[in-house]
Amino acid sequence: MKTIKIRTIVEGIVEGIALVSPIPISFFGGVDAETGIITDSENPLFGESLTDKIFVFPESKGSTVGSYVIYGLSVNNVAPLALIANKAETIVIAGAILANIPFVDKTDLDVTTSIKTGDKLVIDTTQNIIKIKKE
Amino acid sequence: MFLTTEQQKMLDGEHGHAIAKLTHLIVKIGEVNGATRLIPIKNAQIAGVSYLTVGEPIFSFFNMLSEDNVKVSVPSWLNPAGMDMKKWKEMGIKNDFAEKQRRIIKQYQEMGIQTTLTCTPYLIGYKPKFGDHLAWSESSAVSIANAYYGARTNREGGPSSLASAIIGFTADYGLHKKENRVPRIVVDVKATINHFSDFSALGYWYGEKFHGIIPYFKSVKNANIDQVKMLGAAMAASGSVAHFHIAKHTPEAEKVDLSHISETVTFDESDKKQIYNHFNQIKERVNLVVIGCPHSSLEDVKLIDSSLGDKSIKEGIKFWVFSSQKLMQNDEAKKLLTNLEEKGVKIFTDTCMVVSPVVRENYKNILTNSAKAAFYLTRDGTNKVTLLSLSEIIEGVSE
Repeated sequence: MKTIKIRTIVEGIVEGIALVSPIPISFFGGVDAETGIITDSENPLFGESLTDKIFVFPESKGSTVGSYVIYGLSVNNVAPLALIANKAETIVIAGAILANIPFVDKTDLDVTTSIKTGDKLVIDTTQNIIKIKKE
Repeated sequence: MFLTTEQQKMLDGEHGHAIAKLTHLIVKIGEVNGATRLIPIKNAQIAGVSYLTVGEPIFSFFNMLSEDNVKVSVPSWLNPAGMDMKKWKEMGIKNDFAEKQRRIIKQYQEMGIQTTLTCTPYLIGYKPKFGDHLAWSESSAVSIANAYYGARTNREGGPSSLASAIIGFTADYGLHKKENRVPRIVVDVKATINHFSDFSALGYWYGEKFHGIIPYFKSVKNANIDQVKMLGAAMAASGSVAHFHIAKHTPEAEKVDLSHISETVTFDESDKKQIYNHFNQIKERVNLVVIGCPHSSLEDVKLIDSSLGDKSIKEGIKFWVFSSQKLMQNDEAKKLLTNLEEKGVKIFTDTCMVVSPVVRENYKNILTNSAKAAFYLTRDGTNKVTLLSLSEIIEGVSE
């Protein structure tokens, strides 16, 4: 089991399965707020659902109304369990706070290579760590 | 972060759940960016208005805000919508879109936000003052507020500018701090910069090369607001540049600290040509001309009228100009509009070629004098856009 240090943006203790986007994600135009499905055809996760996964991505890009998409995911009960990014910026910070989805960043490793899709993760913001249990 | 007693109460939920969330949002964005306090803002300019850009998720967010009957606490106004609020049918907007768009505007209005529906609030009387702290989100307006007026705003998102409009504060980081407003690159402008499209090409060229870095332009002869808005808009679109200086023209330029300059670059005729060549895509017949990105001033509209003279727009080509309702209301403007309509020029207000769905959907070959418009209209590859000066456009499409 591997442990990664994190910075907490939105608190929570969450256990779940990772879904890793190797490239920056645009929530606006890239994720369907009604279904939780990734609709960006350039993303290798195209067609996959974020719902109830721990969604891992390097950073976000695109329109700032992406925050409303993240909020919409939660209102429609199709939100991810938590979000992990290399670098948090305004779009996802705003979205995660509005939706109250646990969100962490600034890990000591590149999350998109140290975490693999399917890994079982435990995020614990009381200790500022992620534990990775390999698949 | 240090919070005043009042700010702490807002965060703790004493003013309701929505205010607590919005305060949390601004505090967190501040903390992540190294802010140690919140500062009051004079006003806010809020993007996220067109149904095309916000979609359905905005309604869930509005529901949360309306449960607490939240209102803005500082003067606030809106960016363009997805349609002309009166002439939407003429634009080719469908009923369903219009209904959603009206709902969005009504919700913003109920929060006390003025429905100016323009990206150029400074053209309709809302001119920022030197040193004012603002929360503006339209990227071209942000750059004009910082550069042309010497006010201070970060490039906010729709959600963060709305949150600041409601709580009345933003976090003190980025362009709110003097030390972050200094230029890093000098641009010696050797090319001739006359037309609006030349200013736009210069901005586009710089932004693409030097993403996010504040420039100091020298050797720019004229820099009136209509020219600077083309420069700033293009730079913000291609490179997220939110502030700039022009020697002898912008208010901070004279006293700005030039000790952080790391590089001097030149913008010559070949650089200018390269941008025009990049946006030289139309191989077939032109369908549509779009002017007004950012929104046209009354002077811009007069220039179109005088350039056209006695000529009219050729059959089969549409010529659309985008501006704001407020500018087109007085008698002089109304007369001008009637005159232009007779020559085949249509003025739409409240919207633009970028945030309205119809331009991209219904017209393939588009002429414009704005590199920002060209950039957004060609992003998904379905439209062909050619960038020309206004006089070249009018020469080509009128008879």
